Amino acid sequence: MPLETASGGMDIIMINFDNSATTFPKPQSVRRAVAAAVEKYGGNPGRSGHELSMLAASKVYEVRSLAAEMFGALPENTAFTVNCTFALNMAIKGLMQYGGHIIISNMEHNAVARPVYELSRSRGTEYSIAEVTDSDEETVKNFEKLIRKDTRCICCCIASNVTGRVLPFRKLAALCREHSIPFIADCAQAAGLIDLSLDDGIDFICTSGHKSLYGPTGTGLLITSGKYPLSTIIEGGTGTSSARLEQPSEMPERLESGTLNTVGIIGLGEGIRFVRNLGTDKIRKHEDQLCRRLIERLSRRKDIQIYRDNALYMPIVSFNVGNESSHVIASALNDAGFAVRGGLQCAALAHNALGTIEQGTVRFSPSAFNTMKQVDLLADVLMSI
Amino acid sequence: MKKTYIAMSSITFAMRAKDVLSRSGIRCEIIRTPKNLGTGCGYSIAVTGDVSRALRLLDNNSIPHKMTYES
Repeated sequence: MPLETASGGMDIIMINFDNSATTFPKPQSVRRAVAAAVEKYGGNPGRSGHELSMLAASKVYEVRSLAAEMFGALPENTAFTVNCTFALNMAIKGLMQYGGHIIISNMEHNAVARPVYELSRSRGTEYSIAEVTDSDEETVKNFEKLIRKDTRCICCCIASNVTGRVLPFRKLAALCREHSIPFIADCAQAAGLIDLSLDDGIDFICTSGHKSLYGPTGTGLLITSGKYPLSTIIEGGTGTSSARLEQPSEMPERLESGTLNTVGIIGLGEGIRFVRNLGTDKIRKHEDQLCRRLIERLSRRKDIQIYRDNALYMPIVSFNVGNESSHVIASALNDAGFAVRGGLQCAALAHNALGTIEQGTVRFSPSAFNTMKQVDLLADVLMSI
Repeated sequence: MKKTYIAMSSITFAMRAKDVLSRSGIRCEIIRTPKNLGTGCGYSIAVTGDVSRALRLLDNNSIPHKMTYES
C-alpha cells in the first residue's frame, strides 16, 4: 500500500521513482490549493493596500509561518525562493562575495559546487573539498583539518542527492560554532524526510519546496538564523521603502525582490501540511522500506552494484548494471513505464568520489505515494535486462 | 472608537504584528501607510484601543516598528 493515495481523478501515466528530482504525484490537497490560488488569490502580495493584495499577502504569510515553524525559525527569517539552487546561491554568494575561504564536501550537487567555483574564478574566493567517508568521525576530521584563519563558512548537503548518504551535519554545525563561522546546509534531499531545525546549529537552511515538501515546482526556501546578514545577489522591488534606491535591510523582503510565486507558495503550504500531518518519520520509514526491498531484490543479481555502505542514508538507491551506461538502463526502464534518473544527477563531485563519472548511476528515489508492488515490478524488469 | 496607527517596516512584520496583537485580544487591521509619513510603500497596523499595550507586545516579540500616528 502507498503511505498516501494521490486519487482525485489523476491518470498516472508511469510509475515515478525519480522523486529526488521532484515529487510526483503531488498530494490532492496541494493540487486543489494551487487551483484555488489561481482562482482566488490573484493580487500581488505586499504591493498594495487593496483587498486582493492583502488577501494574497495574508496567504503568503500563513505559509511563511508554517515553514518557519517547521524549521524552528522566525517568519521574517524565512524567505521564499524559486528553488534550492537559488537559496544556495543567495547564501553562498551573500556570505562570500568579498573573498575568503569556504569548505564544501565531495558529495555536493552543482548547486553548491558551481557557485563556489564561480566565486573562485571571478572573486578570488578559495575553496577546499572535504572527503566524506563511511565514518562520521573521520568525515568531521576531514572538514576540521581544512579550516583556516580566513575560512568564512562550511557549506554542504545534509544528504547526497546521488546516494542519499547522510552527512554528520549536527557535528559539522558544532564544528562551525566552535570556530565562529556559519554553516550553510543544502537540505534538498532531507527536508520533509527528517526533522531539521535551526536548533541543529544550521545558520542557513536551503531547500527546495517541490521535493519531499511536496509543493509545486518553482518553490524553495532560504531560512536563516539571523546571525549573519547576507549581501544580496538580486535587488529590486520589495513593496517597502520604495523611495530609496538602497535595497531594504529588513528580512525577508531583502531577499525577495520581485513578485512572489503566490500560487506556488500556497501549494507549498499544503505540501508542508501534508508532511506535518503524516510526520517525517513515517514518510521516511515507508520510503526506507521500499529502498530495502529494491536492494534485497537487486542483490540477487551479481552484476548489479549498489552504491551504499554501512553509513546512514536517506531513501535513495543508486546502482549500476554491469558496465552498462546508466542512461541505457534508465531508458530501458522508461520504456517499461518507470521514471528513474540516470547519469550524473548534476553532481560531478560525488560521481568523481564514487568512481562513476563515466558511467553515472541509475538513481531510484521513492515518495510517500509509491508501493511495494511498484518496487517489485521495477525489480522484475531490472532482473530481466 | 479612536484608532492609532503604528507604521511597520514591511508587510511581513505587519502580518506578524497583527498575528501577535490579535492573539492578545487587541483589535487591529493592516493598512497602507500614507505616503507623507514614510519613504513610500509601507504598511501600518491600525490599533483600536490601548496602543501602549500594543507597542509593548511588539517590543516583547522583537517586532520592529516605526512611528505611531493618528489619522
